[in-house]
Amino acid sequence: MIPTMAYEHILVEVEPPIATITLNRPKVLNALSPELIREVTAALAELERDDEVRAVVLTGGPKVFAAGADISDMADRTAVEQLNRDQTGAWASIASFSKPLVAAVSGYALGGGCELVLMCDLVIAGDTARIGQPEINIGVIPGAGGTQRWPRTAGKYAAMEIVLSGAPVTARRAYELGIVNKVVPAEMTIEIAKRTARQLAEKPPLALRMAKEAVLRSFETPLTEGLAAERQSFYFLFATEDQKEGMHAFLEKRKGAFKGR
Amino acid sequence: MATEVDRHVKLEIENGVGWITLNRPEKMNAIGAVTRRQLAEAIKQADRDDSVRVLVLTGTGRAFSSGADVTEMVDMPMLSRLRTMAKPVIASMNGPAVGIGASFALACDIRIATPESYLMEAFVNIGLAPDGGVSWLLPRLAGTGIAYEMFFTGKPLQAVDAARLGVINRLVPAERLEAEVRELANELATQPRLAMAAAKRAVNYALESSFDEALEFESYLQEAQTASPEFAEGVQAFLARRSNKSNK
Repeated sequence: MIPTMAYEHILVEVEPPIATITLNRPKVLNALSPELIREVTAALAELERDDEVRAVVLTGGPKVFAAGADISDMADRTAVEQLNRDQTGAWASIASFSKPLVAAVSGYALGGGCELVLMCDLVIAGDTARIGQPEINIGVIPGAGGTQRWPRTAGKYAAMEIVLSGAPVTARRAYELGIVNKVVPAEMTIEIAKRTARQLAEKPPLALRMAKEAVLRSFETPLTEGLAAERQSFYFLFATEDQKEGMHAFLEKRKGAFKGR
Repeated sequence: MATEVDRHVKLEIENGVGWITLNRPEKMNAIGAVTRRQLAEAIKQADRDDSVRVLVLTGTGRAFSSGADVTEMVDMPMLSRLRTMAKPVIASMNGPAVGIGASFALACDIRIATPESYLMEAFVNIGLAPDGGVSWLLPRLAGTGIAYEMFFTGKPLQAVDAARLGVINRLVPAERLEAEVRELANELATQPRLAMAAAKRAVNYALESSFDEALEFESYLQEAQTASPEFAEGVQAFLARRSNKSNK
């Protein structure tokens, strides 16, 4: 295991070709303080540069993913204070992480915890998972993407239910809504997420990166533009060694060995 | 509150078995607001208490439970808790289980009943639709034909017929009911608890899944179990028994 920089609120475990980030404030159900988010973004930046790491698991551990933000820290703040702190603006770099990000969710993923899940690329949920946006119950709305990513992922009506009612949904319901890829026994959540990440890590890294970018771009662009960008990425990949290796390995009926070149 | 609990619902824990007894025989163990509150509390307590490895639900007197006061019907999260709690739940049907009483019996994992008992969905007789989860439970346990007949006629499904259909696991004469249920409960209390809990999780997952989803979920549960001390002990015990036999 490669030592990484020291963090206070998260654990970072690098086991090439994957890495795991564990939110680690168990006493407050992994409440997402600005410091914790700063550490997550710093860790992702570090893993972004690490060529040995090809996919990342993001988890809150076996009991809880993250039960939202630190309300005691926000209750008496003014609008201007909140604006100047721009707490949720700092999250942008999580969503633009270029390698596959697999969420392993057990227990509560509420509010900001839920929004963190929505920034991941694949979601493995334990059967104990409860996912939702309860902000409405305390007089605000989701502030880190909930109102935008829910409808883009699960459609308007599911989004309205989640965001307006504030009631969390079970892992099974989240699976049916299409924001969870797989429901597994809670004690296996992290293991299955790691396995999923390892499977992705065997894929050609540049193609993974282009594929992730293309899918995320689809939420931002009109279809014609998205299709044009997709084609360009497709052609671009023919300039990579991994494309030659991949196609020849296929023709020779062997498994490709990809280098990210 | 303690005396109130004593009056309507009892929870007694004995050798790893939690016995929840509906204790209003003069009212045929009807489930009114007070009983419901106490029952919910007892079920929650038994669920959370790790010393309770098996739960038995039964009634005193002639009836298991004659159901609810129709004016007090509300949703019943405790029925879901019975179905999903990580320990076996046995209904010891000492007599008729009617309406919400039938729901409680049917939400248990296993039913053992006296031949004189029956299940009845009397809602139609007062112009109501079936509730308490029976529209889900009965078709699965008895099939839609039997479920509809009960819902449409409001007539009882006798224990003998229920046993033939597999809705009731077995019939036991009234005077032996408690002893037989105790024997089964005590046996289950010595079984590997995580393995039994895993079986419930697997079944509950499978009930809302495709075959392939269920297969996959099972495989993960199994993987978790193979890493458990229960499995290590089980294998050791098995090998010890086998070597004992071959030595003879």
